[in-house]
Amino acid sequence: MEEQMAKIDLSNISHTYNPIDPKPTYALNPFSMTWENGKRYAILGPSGCGKTTMLNIVSGLVRPSKGEILFDETPVTDLKTEDRNIAQVFQFPVIYNTMTVYDNLAFPLRCREFTKEKIEERVKAVSDTLNLSSFLNSPARKLTADQKQLISLGRGLVREDVAAVLMDEPLTVIDPDLKFRLRRNLKEINEQYKTTLVYVTHDQNEAMTFAENIIVMDQGEIVQVGLPKDLFEKPKTTFVGYFIGSPAMNIFHSTVSSDHEVKINDTTIKTNSNLGNLKDKNVKLGIRSEFIELAEKEKSNTVKIKLTRVEDFGNFKLLTGKMGDLVIKSKVEREKPIPDGELNLYFPPEKCCVYSDEKLV
Amino acid sequence: MSKLYTFLKYFFITFWTVFVVAPFLWAVSTSFKDFQSVNSKVTYIPWLDFEPTLEGWRVLIKSPAKGGVDIVEPYFNSIFVTCTASLISIVLGTLAAYALSRFTFKAGFVRNNDITFFFISQRIMPPIVLSIPFFIFLSTIGLLDSLLGLVVVYIVLLMPIAVWIMVDFFNRVPKELDETALIDGCNPYQAFYKVVLPNSIPGLIVAGMFCIIFGWIDFFFAFILTFTEVQLLPVKVVALNSSITPWWSLSASALVSVAPLIIVAFIVERYLSKGNLSGALK
Repeated sequence: MEEQMAKIDLSNISHTYNPIDPKPTYALNPFSMTWENGKRYAILGPSGCGKTTMLNIVSGLVRPSKGEILFDETPVTDLKTEDRNIAQVFQFPVIYNTMTVYDNLAFPLRCREFTKEKIEERVKAVSDTLNLSSFLNSPARKLTADQKQLISLGRGLVREDVAAVLMDEPLTVIDPDLKFRLRRNLKEINEQYKTTLVYVTHDQNEAMTFAENIIVMDQGEIVQVGLPKDLFEKPKTTFVGYFIGSPAMNIFHSTVSSDHEVKINDTTIKTNSNLGNLKDKNVKLGIRSEFIELAEKEKSNTVKIKLTRVEDFGNFKLLTGKMGDLVIKSKVEREKPIPDGELNLYFPPEKCCVYSDEKLV
Repeated sequence: MSKLYTFLKYFFITFWTVFVVAPFLWAVSTSFKDFQSVNSKVTYIPWLDFEPTLEGWRVLIKSPAKGGVDIVEPYFNSIFVTCTASLISIVLGTLAAYALSRFTFKAGFVRNNDITFFFISQRIMPPIVLSIPFFIFLSTIGLLDSLLGLVVVYIVLLMPIAVWIMVDFFNRVPKELDETALIDGCNPYQAFYKVVLPNSIPGLIVAGMFCIIFGWIDFFFAFILTFTEVQLLPVKVVALNSSITPWWSLSASALVSVAPLIIVAFIVERYLSKGNLSGALK
């Protein structure tokens, strides 16, 4: 019964929920992706962008309209959910009301005919990790919402040999303190057992702290796959820039003026991007508020702004200023003195991203 | 204002209780009377107003040859027909309801909701409309005036109730529950009977209760589709009436006919008040 964990390949997958429609709308546009064995992935995106559809395709609850899924090079597209050896945790607790906590946790193992000793051992290990040991004999329906979600989570983790554990915003109902601890637990489980974890969320902090690889999705499209650092520093589209980071990336309409320079409202900004073939075209310049520095006097790559608001967040200050009708936000250290009225902000060229047609140049 | 409200509240509760309970008390009291005490003057209280007798009850189990009416056989006939038809209706109805709740059916313009409505529309029709087709149907297959024929007809009458209640119930059981069971390694049948069904016991109890009540109280079809071979309890009770109404045995038989329903009501009420239903419906 011992199966190996698997590398998961999604090849040319696309899906529509109304296939008979002559012009179907696609919940997932064609994409290919590989989930390496034993890694942690986060799928990040706004509601309705196709995250859940993607998980359901992998677990077999939804059959993709097109494309193929392979576990370790073996096609599983036509395999039923129960034969796929996937664990999935939903957003809201799904528990077997009529069973005890122990029976809930043991259920996936019993269905797959594990031995009694093995079941006992695994249930104990999982209930210890999730702090459920003292409830094992209580009826599952008597527990609180977050304990119930722990049971769902436990049922996902109880099988060591699963190809992957798919989690669909599993920590929504859990209080922040426990959330933090659980995320760390999940990380430990992943490191210890080398279980592939796929975690769907719309919370970027959750994604950033949890995953090694983040998959950003928007409107059925995979926009960017990368490390948290890449997503933050070099968002591939303006959407990723807006979606990741708080506050969102500063994005300005601008015109290309030379090979490496763009103009915003007559101010020339030097970038490290090669803009040779975009001369005089309208582009967008993006820069994170974290990378904008306060400059003492006007120099190259500075813009002059009129300060409109200073917000103190405790560990940093957020400056909001206006250059003409453009709004610029900048995060500065708390201790830094902020001059009143007008001030100069420096845009480091290596941190400036230029977007043509919403895509990074 | 609040005093008036309290007064009115208790007044109407008392009024309603008397309205509901009085006929029962009347029946209980009458069942212990004899011809004399029923027909002479108005009497209420046993031993004071009249001398109680068990004659009204005794005739119920006495064979007609000995001057009794013998409702024992019709009683067991009713139990058999009601329980068999209810059980089959619940089993078939639950399976149908699960399918209607979880799968999408399309046939022309017909969708799941239309099919559910089609089931319940059987109950919307006045029973008289169904009586002639049922009569012809049963006589064709040779089941007229037989217990089996009644069971068949009652299944047709009770299954819509089971389907209707269970569709609504299954719709409230999140489909993630089935999906989780599939992910945990059940096949669809196991997911149904290991996970969904145990979660639906309250629904099954309510559906079962309705089936038993509607099956037990039916007079119309039992009257039309049986003659001499078999008799169900409601028909037998009505048949007790003759030129001189035997109020005492009529009351006694009425009481024994409602007894099973009172027992069912108590069991279900206990179950309801334990909160088992509300928890499952969340």
